[in-house]
Amino acid sequence: MSIKSENINLSYNNEEILKNLSLEIKQGEIVTLLGPNGAGKSSLLNIISGDTDANSGLVYYNNKDINKLTIQERAFIRSVMAQSQPIVFDFNVREIVEMGWLDRGNIKHANQFDRAIKMILNDCDIASLEFRKFNTLSGGEQRRVHFARTLLQLWRESKSDEPRYLMLDEPTANLDLSHQVKMMKLIKKLSNEGVGILLILHDLNLAFKYSDKIAILKNGNMVSYGKPKDIVLSNILDDVYELPLNVQLSENRIIINYV
Amino acid sequence: MSNNISFIFNSKYLSKSQSALLIIIFIILIGSLLFAFSFGSYNFSILSLIDGSNSLIENTVFYEIRVPRVILAGLVGASLAVSGSCLQGLFRNPLADPGLIGVSAGAALGASLIIVFGSSIASKFILSTFLLPLFACLGSAVVIMLLFLLTKGFGHQGVTYMLLVGIAINAIASVGIGILTFISSDSELRSLTFWTMGSFGGVTWPLLIPAIIIILFSFIFLIPVLRNLDILQLGESEAKRLGVNVQKLKYRIIITSATSVGASVALSGMIGFIGLVVPHLVRLLGGVNHTYVVIGSALMGSSLMIFADLLSRILIQPAELPVGLITSAIGSPFFLWLIFRINKI
Repeated sequence: MSIKSENINLSYNNEEILKNLSLEIKQGEIVTLLGPNGAGKSSLLNIISGDTDANSGLVYYNNKDINKLTIQERAFIRSVMAQSQPIVFDFNVREIVEMGWLDRGNIKHANQFDRAIKMILNDCDIASLEFRKFNTLSGGEQRRVHFARTLLQLWRESKSDEPRYLMLDEPTANLDLSHQVKMMKLIKKLSNEGVGILLILHDLNLAFKYSDKIAILKNGNMVSYGKPKDIVLSNILDDVYELPLNVQLSENRIIINYV
Repeated sequence: MSNNISFIFNSKYLSKSQSALLIIIFIILIGSLLFAFSFGSYNFSILSLIDGSNSLIENTVFYEIRVPRVILAGLVGASLAVSGSCLQGLFRNPLADPGLIGVSAGAALGASLIIVFGSSIASKFILSTFLLPLFACLGSAVVIMLLFLLTKGFGHQGVTYMLLVGIAINAIASVGIGILTFISSDSELRSLTFWTMGSFGGVTWPLLIPAIIIILFSFIFLIPVLRNLDILQLGESEAKRLGVNVQKLKYRIIITSATSVGASVALSGMIGFIGLVVPHLVRLLGGVNHTYVVIGSALMGSSLMIFADLLSRILIQPAELPVGLITSAIGSPFFLWLIFRINKI
């Protein structure tokens, strides 16, 4: 089972944004999109998540054409965290997280409601903020709350073979160092439980440390795709970022400096 | 689909304190009903109705004048407050109010059209029972649709933008009502003035019962989408990602707000600020999630309106203050306070 996009093309006002892109996210795999601003990363993620339509090309969730799935069916398969909008009313943190809960008409699942929320609040390190007003939180804290909501949407009582996917557009933006690492560890843990994950990151070190596959976009083309080590060895990064990068490659670590 | 059931009212989205608050507001509503039943310009003991020692005229005053009037007040208060809270949620705008954004004015224009031109096409009974509410509903629906177009599908355009659009729509509607006033006959003129002032007087059971049915149905129609209204606060695309059919949600809110405001305006004229004040009071008391806010607004709007009407009946007996005057007296300072509060944020 996987999420697949095939031959995606997208253009705005005669400007090509994505050129014939194909990408597959398998269960239990972390695929990261890298590339400079305006490369088309978010556009591709939005098409794969079903938010926007491509001009041509197809997206499949578990071998089913996404256009044949209702938005409710899509919500059961994948959850998405993208740039968030301001929230007008004074919801508290718990209420925002609760919005991620999908009722499945399944009493056994419904009875897990409180336990699921408690676990996720702890995992995301926001248990102490549970009854704070969302709008009084810092940017990084708000980000973690939205992340918790995204996780709740995919929550299962125990290990589940049901294919689930997580799509995160710059999840670590605004987070302090320790929370960036905590979030990436949580993402890794989910992938070990079988969740397929599509990420957009700007931090090369985080990307190369945690990803199973990396896709590098530039000007709407996929210039490279593969395992982190292979990408580093191909020496393509300097060209993509137009910056001399200093890569240290040891046995199971990749460190990239750019000063 | 079986999981549709889950989107129906679900008490787990109410906190314990919110449930308790709803019960308290409900008890206040019962109290205000009893209170309003007992007082009026015609004085008699309500207890005499129970032991049967009352006169025929007391019976008539109670059952044919006072009870329908109090029920209408409660119903109109509830429907204005509910549509206020729902429109605020839908527009993601705390200043949306059926009066301020022109929905009530649209309903009044629809009703005025029927008063002036209707007498030539139908009998008096059909007119006041069916056509008047129908055209009032159509009027408010047209205004909401217009707002929909002007705000690009209710996209988030800032709080003030919609108020400005509302001012324009109110102005257009008052031009329409003004023209109708100019060409109307004397008796039509009297009915027209009534719409702009707002009153619960003169209602009879045959007019009231269809309104009760329409308004209660529109509330029941709303309950399953209250949670989706919460999710919509994350933004439209986020709501879609969470499986909410945003288009359907919009239509449902538009239809219910239009019918309940339309039916209210058809029977009682334009009464301002209830749709603005009540949802905010409810939010201040216990939180902002719509399962709580909308139900709380229905209960509190209804008891507040019953009290406002009671005041209008007993303040300067035997004359009667227009109830719209009382709600505006409470509502307009509150509106100012709200504007300053929002500016601070």
